Amino acid sequence: MHPLLASRARLGAYLLGWVPIALLLTGIALSQGWSWAEAVALALPLCLLAALLFLSAWFLCRALPLGRTTEGLGTHGAAWGMAAVLMGGLWSGLAWVLARMLAWIPGLGALPQRVGIALPVLTGLGVLLYLASVALSYLMLAQDRAIEAERKGVELQLLAQESELKALRAQLNPHFLFNSLNSLSALTAVDPARAREMCVLLSDFLRRSLGLGERQLVALREELDLARTYLAIEQIRFGARLKLDWHLDPAAEPALLPTLLLQPLVENAIKHGIAALPEGGILSLSTEAVEGYVLLHVNNPVDLDAPAPEGLGLGLRQVRQRLLGRFGSRARFETGLQDGIHRVTLVFPLETEP
Amino acid sequence: MKALIIDDEELARAVVREHLAAHPDVEVAAECANGLEALKAAALHQPDLIFLDIQMPKLDGFEVLELLEAEGKRPAVVFVTAHDQHALQAFEAHAVDYLLKPFSKERFDAALAKARALNAAQPVAAPPPAHELAASARQGKPLERIVVKDGPKVTVVHLDRLDWIQAQDDYVLLRTEGKNLLKQQTLANLEAHLDGSRFIRIHRSYILNLDRLVRVEQDSKEHRDAILRDGTRLPVSRAGYQRLRELWEGA
Repeated sequence: MHPLLASRARLGAYLLGWVPIALLLTGIALSQGWSWAEAVALALPLCLLAALLFLSAWFLCRALPLGRTTEGLGTHGAAWGMAAVLMGGLWSGLAWVLARMLAWIPGLGALPQRVGIALPVLTGLGVLLYLASVALSYLMLAQDRAIEAERKGVELQLLAQESELKALRAQLNPHFLFNSLNSLSALTAVDPARAREMCVLLSDFLRRSLGLGERQLVALREELDLARTYLAIEQIRFGARLKLDWHLDPAAEPALLPTLLLQPLVENAIKHGIAALPEGGILSLSTEAVEGYVLLHVNNPVDLDAPAPEGLGLGLRQVRQRLLGRFGSRARFETGLQDGIHRVTLVFPLETEP
Repeated sequence: MKALIIDDEELARAVVREHLAAHPDVEVAAECANGLEALKAAALHQPDLIFLDIQMPKLDGFEVLELLEAEGKRPAVVFVTAHDQHALQAFEAHAVDYLLKPFSKERFDAALAKARALNAAQPVAAPPPAHELAASARQGKPLERIVVKDGPKVTVVHLDRLDWIQAQDDYVLLRTEGKNLLKQQTLANLEAHLDGSRFIRIHRSYILNLDRLVRVEQDSKEHRDAILRDGTRLPVSRAGYQRLRELWEGA
């Protein structure tokens, strides 16, 4: 649907824009010795015709979007030129037909002859008007794109804020907190020193995650510190069932990424992996800096008797959205299940400046 | 009194054990780290009381209780969990107690006293079946899996692997991955816990996983068959066909 036809206000403004052109056309005709009746009778319908006919420029422009470079401008130019000549010719042809028809009206009998003389001028004018329509169409397309981009930007921002909140809420996962406090309650009797260690770890974890929740971007190092604290707490809860295997590349540590991106991955690995297996397993986490990119892997075993959930869970979906929201096509998010191991891989540019 | 402590976390078992130490008349017969161990220990020790965690690997607490029931055992139960409090409030109405982790000594003693009283008195009314407790804890969400005990073997049937269910008197026959499993439950009871948009009662005796349905064939004026992906034919009653049509038209 043509944007001008979609809204009455826009169509009205467009038609209003043709009024000065109609006046100009009338003026030119009068200066050439046409009578008032002849000039108005031809100029008005002709301008209306042009207004409708040249709307077609928008479809041409939509089919030939302007790139950022001048590449393709040659072929585009040829297409515009050909279309302009065609439409200009068609328009002046219609002017001629119109003149023949109007000649039946008394007093306008000389019109076909007058139009015949003016035909080259009309054709040229048509070509120019069509080219102006092309320019107008590109303007409209650019404006629509800008509005669309703005809407998408706002949407993405809202989504990011929302998942930020959700991430923070997930952070203070009540199940995790209460189970940890229960472990703490057990330790106070059997191992007071470890109980104190657990207290410190829990406080550390809460302080870190509350601090991180307020920021947009964070260095990978800080995300890893948070995960380390979290896993130290889970280690006390799960004991020998949780084995950790870390392989960290120091070169990747300063890389900036959206806040609390790693935490849902680690929580998922515990909840759907280790906690669901009677014998537990190895949670492995590795980072690697390769040619300006960071590769981050989180792997954990899963219970093969439980059916794999369809698609990504909410947590992973949000991680993906936030990662791609920040880095766009320069980042990759992959998950897969292979030989009983659930793998999550994040690849994103190693950037240290926001 | 003989008790079992069932929790997958060692430290969580330790808290219960510690509190029980103050009650010399309660003997801890065994500690179990998962549901399967619990079933074995229950068969061996015939406990009067169990402390039962809800979220555990393989079998959850409700499933453990259900399988114990299937063997005719119903010890007094105290659920011990970090589960959502609201989900468990309904239990109080059923005289089933629960402890929210972490809990105080007083709260523990109160739960134990309640269990003790329940054990001593001849129960006035039968305790509610485990699947009803589980349903109230799910808070309206449909069932996701069914546990079946087949001799010594316990099978967990995930509902997306379940093809169809047939009524057989007081039992239901579950068809899953080429096998037939029998479970003591009525079809109507099971139907009440299933997701009505995935599992359709197509006949007095059959519930079908909609995902398995290819088409419905009309044999004669009053007789229709559901043709499944593996070629199986199941009868479709008039009311069952009506339900299918409502679902299709609604979609």
